[in-house]
Amino acid sequence: MKIASVVRTTILLALGAVWILPLYLFLINAATAPKEYGKKERWQLPQHFALFDNVSTAWDKAHLADAVLSTGFYAIVGALGACFLAGLAAYALVSLRIRWGFFWFLLIYSGTIFPFQMYLSPLFTMYQQKIFGVRAYNTHFGLLILYIAIAVPFATFVIRNHFTSIPVDVSEAARLDGASAFRVFATIFVPLSMNAFATVFILQFTWIWNDLLFGLTLSNSNNIRPIMAALAALQGQYSSSGPPIALAGALIVSIPTFVLFFAVQRVFERGLRITA
Amino acid sequence: LPFLLPYALSGTAIATVWQFLLSKNGAINSVLDGVGLQSLERSWLLRPPVNTYAMIVASTWQAVGVSVLLFLIGLQVIPKDPIEAARLDGAEGFRLFWDMTLPMLRPMTIVTIGISLVNSLKTFDIVWIMTQGGPARTSETLAVTMYRETFVIRHHGYGAAISVVLSVFVLLVSMFYLTRTLKTN
Repeated sequence: MKIASVVRTTILLALGAVWILPLYLFLINAATAPKEYGKKERWQLPQHFALFDNVSTAWDKAHLADAVLSTGFYAIVGALGACFLAGLAAYALVSLRIRWGFFWFLLIYSGTIFPFQMYLSPLFTMYQQKIFGVRAYNTHFGLLILYIAIAVPFATFVIRNHFTSIPVDVSEAARLDGASAFRVFATIFVPLSMNAFATVFILQFTWIWNDLLFGLTLSNSNNIRPIMAALAALQGQYSSSGPPIALAGALIVSIPTFVLFFAVQRVFERGLRITA
Repeated sequence: LPFLLPYALSGTAIATVWQFLLSKNGAINSVLDGVGLQSLERSWLLRPPVNTYAMIVASTWQAVGVSVLLFLIGLQVIPKDPIEAARLDGAEGFRLFWDMTLPMLRPMTIVTIGISLVNSLKTFDIVWIMTQGGPARTSETLAVTMYRETFVIRHHGYGAAISVVLSVFVLLVSMFYLTRTLKTN
């Protein structure tokens, strides 16, 4: 029994090390000065800690200041917008009991099933024209409404699930007392579902922040394109800037989602449990 | 917890890191050199079919986090009593897991497999950043082929046809796991 547990621990430790190794190699090489990079073995610690130099080089080279601002705008406003719209939709489905409710739900939910590639090309063609009289291709507006639209289906699914757990009596009592439908939504359903909304916000923020496909397709200038497209461009000029700069870039773009993920882990798990 | 970490990161960042790990002068070759396994060194991303396998490893490294999370949720939801009963009856270790926990996790297992399959079918970021489907299209996924045909060489019709094929596959897998989950609910 004792030998077995030693063997087991050894195997688990070895597997763990292999799993973590990429992270280690990533971090030490992101901290290696490009000059030193060619001279040392990749797994050795660098002599000079050059992480911050690399970060600032990557920041300037990939125009990350612009990208962080626009992507922050897409991710925050997009996720909030999706929460709002999905909340209204879920309220209509659950509490207002509109006709053909299940059909509408399936219609909205189907947005999470179809692959993006299905509408990528038509979308590109459509974006060459104006939407609501505003230019759409390569504008903040165009990308924002796209991100909101894509985030709504999953958000509706989660929020609807949570709304169904709110007792019908509560909202009916409020309606009898003369509260308007919107008032019941804003003062009863939303406050009771803050966990679900927070989960949706985090998931959609992360999704929008991490999106590459739509950023590549629907934008092409430094001040519009989202951050992952900027990193792709930086990584594409690999030969000119060298791996440490690209790695530092990868580090920068990962920080927001990483921090968010850990800061709100609790909310996240609690909220996900509702969806299960 | 570090095992869940890749989940919070983007495919683009992961691909940048793995491109560096797997390139010819990259870290993996250097580590192999360091531990005396020179014979295993190769240009991972330039040779088919090794480049495809290498990218499968990279995307697994990222995707494991999601599956762990889903299974964690599943584990929290399953009732404790039957497990306790089985334990009292003398089941333990692997047997307890195989005969009790796994069957009770079945609904969650189906969802996890379904979601992973759909995500894998749609793989784009990792392949696009690491090899762009190359060399000579040997490591393309349907999503990469579709993007390249449509937006790089502007064969819109061909690109649209590929996206139809991709959509059919994704829909089939989705229907499979959605009907299964709806049934169990």
